[in-house]
Amino acid sequence: MFIYNRITQKSCFLIIADRKKMAVMRTSAVSLKVVHTLEDLTTLGEDEGARTIPIAGPQSYHVLGLVEAGFPSPAEEELRDTLSLDEFLVQNPDASFLLKVSGDSMTGAGILPGDLVIVDRGQTGKSGDIVIAEVDGEWTMKYLKKSGDAVYLVPANPRYEPVRPKHELKIAGVVTAVVRKYK
Amino acid sequence: MDNQFISLSSWPRAILHLDADAFFASCEQAVHPELRGRPVITGKERGIVAAASYEAKARGVQRGVRLSDVKKICPDAVILPSDYETYSLFSVRMFEILRRFSPDVEEYSIDEAFVDLTGLRRNFHGPYEEIAKKMQDTIQQELGLSVSVGVSLSKVLAKIGSKHRKPHGITMIPGREIHLFLEKLPVEKVWGIGPNTAALLNKCGITTALQFARKDEAFVKQHLSKPYQEIWSELNGRSVYPVTTETKNSYQSISKAKTFTPASSDETFVFAQLAKNLENACIKARRYRLAASRVVIFLRKQDFTGSGVELKLTRPTAYPVELFELLREGFRHLYQPTSLYRQTGVVLAGLVEEKCLQYSLFDDTTKIEKMAKIYESVDLISQKFGKHTIQHAASLPTKLQAQHEGARGDIPVRRAILFMGENKRQRLKLPMLHVKV
Repeated sequence: MFIYNRITQKSCFLIIADRKKMAVMRTSAVSLKVVHTLEDLTTLGEDEGARTIPIAGPQSYHVLGLVEAGFPSPAEEELRDTLSLDEFLVQNPDASFLLKVSGDSMTGAGILPGDLVIVDRGQTGKSGDIVIAEVDGEWTMKYLKKSGDAVYLVPANPRYEPVRPKHELKIAGVVTAVVRKYK
Repeated sequence: MDNQFISLSSWPRAILHLDADAFFASCEQAVHPELRGRPVITGKERGIVAAASYEAKARGVQRGVRLSDVKKICPDAVILPSDYETYSLFSVRMFEILRRFSPDVEEYSIDEAFVDLTGLRRNFHGPYEEIAKKMQDTIQQELGLSVSVGVSLSKVLAKIGSKHRKPHGITMIPGREIHLFLEKLPVEKVWGIGPNTAALLNKCGITTALQFARKDEAFVKQHLSKPYQEIWSELNGRSVYPVTTETKNSYQSISKAKTFTPASSDETFVFAQLAKNLENACIKARRYRLAASRVVIFLRKQDFTGSGVELKLTRPTAYPVELFELLREGFRHLYQPTSLYRQTGVVLAGLVEEKCLQYSLFDDTTKIEKMAKIYESVDLISQKFGKHTIQHAASLPTKLQAQHEGARGDIPVRRAILFMGENKRQRLKLPMLHVKV
């Protein structure tokens, strides 16, 4: 947004962009030539006031910072190894599902009713994981505990008792993150 | 001669066809685990069965049957509105899982794929059947979907394999066993052979796929056109159709058709439906920077009979305003005031790249350029605020009646349960599990 405003209001910056990346420069006689090349690529155009504006570009950009007359920004190198919030929250995107929590059995683990949890179906669950499981036909979210041959499910709320499966325990997936939005 | 091998070599190539079992209904069972084992049907908003789970099929429910009839044969069926957003998310994931095994994956349809496995045995230290089994297991584990798989020497044979045992089957057809699978298969069941070709073959004394495969090349060349000669080669284990990996970035034709219930004879409403289909088709064409040189429109009546007509264009275009007059004319030609209509449709064909368009001497270039500007803005606004934020007045009367009777109660659960920050139009790009925990 910042870049866009600068360009439309003051027309003193210039964008260099490809599908993934974008750099910004101050316009000068030297870089006007670059503007023309980019116009050919239909990344930049002119408005009625002959100001340079970006047109119909790709959706998401990594902003690399302001560049004075062609010197590469150190920020480019530094920001190469960063995670998007998407990558941070969802490690295994092909096997992850959303779930809206309705119960309060995991409040002690910081999972409240109405929260969004991310469930990885690719994982089968280790002792200590929070799992979504079907126990004797009932669905539940609890800590998975294994000791020796015994497998049981432990809530994070003193009002509930641990669950020991009588007939069958099926682990549907492992909770890898909880997301709560306030606004 | 029927015991003769078709191919001596077992796996000169290994092509896999994967077909999800009752895909839409299975997606619903995957996100609503309490529905597993129960007869599930999708298509509530359309009034007919779009997909039926295997439990429902076992009770005699078939695709396309009216829901009112379903209630008679299967009163305990769970009938759900289609949730295409969720089905598409599952589809994309299924293809992603296949790409973990081989880079050569062809996305054939929303629930079908071809995968070239040739040479992968070394990577996976095991026979092709084991790779197929692993794919099936991974899809089951991560998506909760059951799929059927066929592996053979060509696409046509692989497709015969995936149909052979369903649901959750794996069928291997190595070269030395091809004849065993073709022996009992009626020739019209072969992929690509329609009722007309089957009738012709029947006249030549061919009723099974094996009889067709055993015919010599001279016979095939004399009686059949190229596509059928290719099918004949594929049946003989000689692969002709390659597995094409690139995702679609261009189209041969674009078609948009929408059903509405109840059926209507209201001229304004039916025309508006048609106009909206034209708008939608043009939006898609513009997204791929294409213009149509031919436009076909059709109306379908309550009794499923239909009629169509081609519009005569003066120049290729993807701008509805240029077409409305012709559309109106074509519509008048087809529309009968006494009939009840349930569907309208538009097909854009003869697609050419927009940038290759040349103006003819008689084109009003200023007008065309103005139009181009307007549509560019309309598309930008749609991108930002949602489809049809700006629409043509001609398609406004679609709002005279809900697209489907009782449509309000028929929105998928996913659209009804929103997280903070999600809205009617945009939701998170992950499928949602509906279990109460």
